Amino acid sequence: MAADCCYEVSQIAYVKLVLHALKHPSSAVNGLLLGRLRQDGSTATVEVADAVPLSHAQIGLLPALEIALIQIEEHFEAEGLSVVGYYHANERHNDLELGNAAKKIGDHIFRYFPRAAVLLLDNNKLQKLKTGKGRDPAVQLYTRDSSRSWRQTGSDGSNQLTLKEPTANIVLFDYISSEKWQQIVDFDDHLDDISKDWLNPGLFD
Amino acid sequence: MVGAEEAARLDRLEIQVENGGGGAWEYLCLVHKLKPRRSDKVLKHGLAILNDPKARSNLGGEEWTLYEQVAFAAFDCQQHNVAKVFSLSLPLPLHMCDCVAVLSKEFPGSLRVGRLEGMLLEAENSWAEAEKVYARLLEDNPLDQIIYKRKVAIAKAQGDLKVAVDFLNKYLEIFMSDHDAWRELAEIYVSLQMYKQAAFCYEELLLSQPTVSLYHLAYAEASSLQLWFLLTAFIEQVLYTMGGLENLLTAKKYYASATTLSGGKNTRALYGICLCSAAISQLTKGRSKEEKESSDLPSLAAEALLRDYKYRAPKKLPLLNSMLKNMKLSS
Repeated sequence: MAADCCYEVSQIAYVKLVLHALKHPSSAVNGLLLGRLRQDGSTATVEVADAVPLSHAQIGLLPALEIALIQIEEHFEAEGLSVVGYYHANERHNDLELGNAAKKIGDHIFRYFPRAAVLLLDNNKLQKLKTGKGRDPAVQLYTRDSSRSWRQTGSDGSNQLTLKEPTANIVLFDYISSEKWQQIVDFDDHLDDISKDWLNPGLFD
Repeated sequence: MVGAEEAARLDRLEIQVENGGGGAWEYLCLVHKLKPRRSDKVLKHGLAILNDPKARSNLGGEEWTLYEQVAFAAFDCQQHNVAKVFSLSLPLPLHMCDCVAVLSKEFPGSLRVGRLEGMLLEAENSWAEAEKVYARLLEDNPLDQIIYKRKVAIAKAQGDLKVAVDFLNKYLEIFMSDHDAWRELAEIYVSLQMYKQAAFCYEELLLSQPTVSLYHLAYAEASSLQLWFLLTAFIEQVLYTMGGLENLLTAKKYYASATTLSGGKNTRALYGICLCSAAISQLTKGRSKEEKESSDLPSLAAEALLRDYKYRAPKKLPLLNSMLKNMKLSS
């Protein structure tokens, strides 16, 4: 099922999720991945087209997530996109484990989209990005296998995760140098001040 | 918690200093007083002052406080090697300054500096060494709250959440009125999905905070008010996640009280009322009318949200509208 599926992450989605993590370095952050499924013959590819940052505190609590899911699904339906995954960055710098809260949210999304992807930010790779030395995407990909647990892909050498635009890291590095992360708005920010837009329009203008 | 006026003054000063308009020392003092987490700015501007011998001598006795402040900022920014000296003799620029070494030279045997030494070890991930330093300090200062908290921080940093919970509980047995500690414990419980225990912590806070909030209500200090209903907002979020009709009803009550206290302005509380009502009607489907809850509250909350979005977030109004329609809270 998910084992023969490829995941292609667009620059917009990738940059947004990293910037979100950089804006809140001392807490966990998470967000939703929007996209579509593309079938070319026997290969299935999940195109992750965009990301919506959700929260940067109290991730274990439900209500904000439910509101966000409802409104985000509705908005992106018009663009032919749906929720295809979830991203998460842990609070601690060297914590590369997918925690229970992340798994629970992943499970929830899996119910509606069986090829759901969970992207976990890799802080070591992220640090390298800050100094302009990284080439890989700074995330690990997890998918749910037949045993109903979340497995990290790529550990057997296969490369299921690609960045759609090869220049994504370069663009990201540019934004990091100009401290672009200050402008990112997540759903949490919106709940504190509804005039803030979680769609982040004009972020990349 | 920072008052709105002071927060604004802090932001103004920060912009001024960042753009070379001076006022760095004033900014650093304000940060020291209000304690927002602006470590990268503190590091940058603090080091600039410490590197300038004339500016440094102008500080007089305050110089030491600045060393301490910069050291904390360096730990936070993970640049603990800023704390290693290669030379104290001038006129070498202090790109690397041993704030900690300078302070231990000036104040040998001091508890305050001892704590800094411990924190330096923590920043270097030398947990065992840090614990040794703290154990030594605790012998002479058995009731030092900060050291207890550092022990919790070490456990948390190593990912030992159960140990952190243990330590915090022991700490709270001694210092049971420490609100920050109750809040920290609650957050750890939530991350461990131990919601009942988290709720207990928030209840403790609600019990001890009310007087403070009532005073501040009279003078409408925005931050205190926010603290009060922020606390009530957390209780029902925890209850909502635990599910079950009982909990949903209680959650709705607390969302309602948060709404009252905030004058109907807390978005999270309003949404909470809507979500609870929708979930409650789902759970009570098929029950007789008497058993069902009837109240104007959910539709009032829906109305309040719609009004607010119309004025402040009109682009999102259609999404809100359709969500509320699906929940049968608006027509």
